[in-house]
Amino acid sequence: MLNIKNLHAAVEGNAILKGINLNVKAGEVHAIMGPNGSGKSSLASVLAGREAYEVTDGSVEFEGKDLLDMSPEVRAREGLFLAFQYPVEIPGVSNINFLKTAVNEIRAYHGQPPMQAKAFLDMLKSKQKLMEFDANLMNRSLNEGFSGGEKKRNDIFQMAMLEPKLAIMDETDSGLDIDALRVVSAGVNKLRSKDNAFIIITHYQRLLEYIVPDFVHVLYNGRIVKSGTKELALELEEKGYDWLKEDIRLEEPVQ
Amino acid sequence: MTTIASNIPSLYDTLPAQFSTLTAGAQWPEARKEAFDRFQALGGFPTVKVEDWKYTNVIPFFRSLQTLQLPAPIAITEAQLEATGLLLPDVYRIVLLNGELQPQLSELPPAKQATVLKMSEAAAEPAFTAHFNNSQKLAEHHFAQLNTAFFTNGLFIEAKAKAQVEKPLHIIHLYHNTSSLLVNPRHLWVAQEGASIQIIESAAGLDGSGTMVVNSVVEAVTTERSQMSHYQLQTGGGQLRFINQTLVQQRGKSLYNNYTFTLSESELVRNNLNISLDDERTETHLFGFYIATGNQLVDNHTSVDHRMPNCESNELYRGVLMDKATGVFNGKIYVHEDAQKTNAFQQNNNLVISPEANIYTKPQLEIFADDVKCSHGTTIGQVSEEALFYLKARGIGDAMARSMLVKAFAFDITAQVKIPAVRKQVEQLATRYLSAAVNN
Amino acid sequence: MSAEQDILQELAGRDYEFGFETDIEMDIAPPGLNEDIIRFISAKKNEPEWLLEWRLKGFQLFQKLAMPTWQNFKLPEVDFQSVSYYAAPKNKVKYESLDEVDPELLRTFEKLGIPLEEQKMLSGVAVDAVFDSVSVATTFKKQLNELGIIFCSFTEAVQEHPELLRKYLGTVVPQSDNIYAALNCAVFSDGSFVYIPKGVRCPMELSTYFRINAKNTGQFERTLIVADEGSYVSYLEGCTAPMRDENQLHAAVVELIAMDNAEIKYSTVQNWYPGDADGKGGIYNFVTKRGICKGKNSKISWTQVETGSAITWKYPGVILQGDNSIGEFYSVAVTSKRQVADTGTKMVHIGKNTRSRIISKGISAIHGQNTYRGLVKVGPNATNARNFTQCDSLLIGDRCGAHTFPYIESKNNTAMVEHEATTSKIGEDQVFYLNQRGIDSEQAVNMIVNGYAKEVLNQLPMEFAVEAQKLLSITLEGSVG
Repeated sequence: MLNIKNLHAAVEGNAILKGINLNVKAGEVHAIMGPNGSGKSSLASVLAGREAYEVTDGSVEFEGKDLLDMSPEVRAREGLFLAFQYPVEIPGVSNINFLKTAVNEIRAYHGQPPMQAKAFLDMLKSKQKLMEFDANLMNRSLNEGFSGGEKKRNDIFQMAMLEPKLAIMDETDSGLDIDALRVVSAGVNKLRSKDNAFIIITHYQRLLEYIVPDFVHVLYNGRIVKSGTKELALELEEKGYDWLKEDIRLEEPVQ
Repeated sequence: MTTIASNIPSLYDTLPAQFSTLTAGAQWPEARKEAFDRFQALGGFPTVKVEDWKYTNVIPFFRSLQTLQLPAPIAITEAQLEATGLLLPDVYRIVLLNGELQPQLSELPPAKQATVLKMSEAAAEPAFTAHFNNSQKLAEHHFAQLNTAFFTNGLFIEAKAKAQVEKPLHIIHLYHNTSSLLVNPRHLWVAQEGASIQIIESAAGLDGSGTMVVNSVVEAVTTERSQMSHYQLQTGGGQLRFINQTLVQQRGKSLYNNYTFTLSESELVRNNLNISLDDERTETHLFGFYIATGNQLVDNHTSVDHRMPNCESNELYRGVLMDKATGVFNGKIYVHEDAQKTNAFQQNNNLVISPEANIYTKPQLEIFADDVKCSHGTTIGQVSEEALFYLKARGIGDAMARSMLVKAFAFDITAQVKIPAVRKQVEQLATRYLSAAVNN
Repeated sequence: MSAEQDILQELAGRDYEFGFETDIEMDIAPPGLNEDIIRFISAKKNEPEWLLEWRLKGFQLFQKLAMPTWQNFKLPEVDFQSVSYYAAPKNKVKYESLDEVDPELLRTFEKLGIPLEEQKMLSGVAVDAVFDSVSVATTFKKQLNELGIIFCSFTEAVQEHPELLRKYLGTVVPQSDNIYAALNCAVFSDGSFVYIPKGVRCPMELSTYFRINAKNTGQFERTLIVADEGSYVSYLEGCTAPMRDENQLHAAVVELIAMDNAEIKYSTVQNWYPGDADGKGGIYNFVTKRGICKGKNSKISWTQVETGSAITWKYPGVILQGDNSIGEFYSVAVTSKRQVADTGTKMVHIGKNTRSRIISKGISAIHGQNTYRGLVKVGPNATNARNFTQCDSLLIGDRCGAHTFPYIESKNNTAMVEHEATTSKIGEDQVFYLNQRGIDSEQAVNMIVNGYAKEVLNQLPMEFAVEAQKLLSITLEGSVG
């Protein structure tokens, strides 16, 4: 589904991704871990097409197409979803109107007619139920005045509505209390299927207790320095990241 | 029509005719001539029909003036200085009489840190030639032009490159007259690359006869990476009226802080403070506090011109209006086309204590760049009834509670003062004026 | 389907019931401004002597008054002699068929959701006359009559209700108020007159759709609304104009009078032709609007959505004379292309416990220049006056401008005045967030802008709000690179 090859990226001339290789297939859940500043969120931003991030080398294929060639909205319409680390507030734009627009834009891209109001509302209701999402939040302005947890849950709810092929969850667990974490994770688990895939970016192993990954990758200094199964996450939890840094420093070529 | 019952012709009427006689033989004749022409081209003394003088009628003050001729110098004693109550510890004390440096009463900073000269003796200094009469903003101000045309003397200060001037320079402006006088002090202060300097100004009127208008101009330049903190403590008795022009030009990465505190009995205080951010990554903080009592008119006109990207300016002015006093605030923030990534903030709060006090405020944003964050806010109000009730509910009497709240309002600003002795003096002065108000 | 379509359909289907659509060929005055033209207009409308005198006084003042000089943009010279001051509607169609109408204009109407029949009407085919300089009454005249509500054209009011007109005309906006107001006094063409009797709550929105059609004409309508004690009325005003290369002048005067316990709500959606991308053509919209809360507990509320005109210059204000009266001003002004909008309000607090609220949302795109200019004035007797002002500017593109000039004057120590203003760029992270959900940048900007303007749009009656939202989108088209 997603094939990242030797991806290099920079912000304002500073290299932050220095050769990422990653292959994600349908039905898989990949966790990306790493210390602060290792490039985890940058990877999410590059994949979603944030403007400030300049790709300097490498390629990314998504469902056989060149992802890097697409505008952010086209990536979204192709089925790439980013759950934001910090979902923005947009005053005056109602949550429901926003979602309806997004759903219909994506449908239009795939040559489908806009959803009728009734069908849309039905879908909204069933997904609300599925995701245990507070219906009252639907009529408020997009994320405005939402608590941190409500914003994250809103993002996951959007994910349910938009039914992406690949969801990238950028530190979705940050700022969540244990109850909110459970609800968010349960939501994600309900959405898991053999046809979609997840990349879960997190600093802590905690989230991975709820969403069990097939693969765990450790990102350090703009590169994936270690890959393994879910046991790797436990190892990181126990030992922290410092030992990794030591190892890697030894592996770095002498300049 | 005229406000003085006297047949002595007022300066207001005779000024044009006097220009050539008064300035004969003075230094910088061309600059003076040009400035006087410009003054006349601007229409002479501004009336309330001129937008920037809409709320401040200066004409009556000038009608009562008779001369530009400075009186003969007088000897000033240490005791007289003490009596002003303005002296500060741990400063380089620099005393000026009607704009003339008084060396015998002054202590200058070490020459390797800063040069301090009379303007009349500074003409050969490279920093003087580079920056004197150079501010673009001069042309906009009637009174700056008048000053250029007629100025007598003032201080040239140059903080040397990389010098950290140890102690603040405390300039005490003394004024003395024998008849109604217009005095035009003129200053030029330059902080060279990487220098850091603090300048405090205070003012006091000595015994004299009649009123005086002090029309001063400070041109200040902060060059690359320099820092200047400028305290204008507008003190002084009832015979003084002030029109101040402070024109600042900031070069890259420099910092300029201005503290303008009006705590005086002057009937007229008008401050024109203009900051021009001429290069990238400059920082500017403007703090103002004014208390206006009696028939006083305190008028602060500020402008901040963001000309280049990545600069930041902050402005906070607060005022307390009492008796029949009038407060005017006009704050302009101008963001030019090239000044992307500008952060500019401005706030003006006014507390109106008495029924006959007036306040006119006009915050103003003019923005021609898009990637900016700018805001201004202004309030006019009284002591919060809710806060008052809260304090009373805790057993504090009405007068005390009011006094506490007014002081809290004022001391938010004075807390920004970095020099403890200045802060103490300002807070004492403020307390004196404020308690008079609250207890009435 | 939508309410605004209903309204337009209603307009289209209406019979023309007023007497001023007479022999049109006769009613076109040559360009030029002089006493003769004023006498000509007055005679055409069969006006009483006092009104002619009043017009002539307006003309005298116009000749004396100077052009304003305080604006921060370059005011183009207006050649008053090249304008025709009396261009009554023509029966002769401007366009023979829809095919001849400028396709750009048709697309605009399409986007507005105005169906084909209305397009014909609005683009000057066949029913041209309905809109040119003439106010339109609702079809519910009978129902209104039963309640004693007067809603008619100014011309009709002159004939039918001269005593009311004479009592109130020019009492809120003095003839000498400004040069354009004086001009309007001299040459006003028509407009609307509304009187709501004591205790009557007007059961429906009263609406006028203004349109400039004929070439080289100015439009100078007057609106006068009087709400007597305890009455209520909501009034809507919409404006469009066709695209023309030359600038056209619109100088209207609106006066509102609210007696004790009365309330007037006045909403405007202004969509005069803004000129093209190079600033060619477009309407000069120089309008004087003012209301007076004459009585106790009265309320006047202005809501405006300004999307059109090359230059907009207007400050709908409220004189808060009655104790406990309330003035409100809600505004969204969008400037794109080379448009200039200099708009705001004047709230003059005279009575005790008077309150005012100002919400202004400016949006500047491309080369647009947007200025908020306002006055909040608290007089010495306005005990406990309160004002709150929020004045925000949104910038889209790096060559537009946003400016704020609020004048605040207080002569009363019990007054509380609060003014807040912010200026910022449209949020890149907001646009990206919407992009990431599959919404393209142009639509994302529309959503954000509409959200930003919501507080004001919410003040509009439903049918206008829908139209206003669409207008915002159309105006901002092409502003996202």
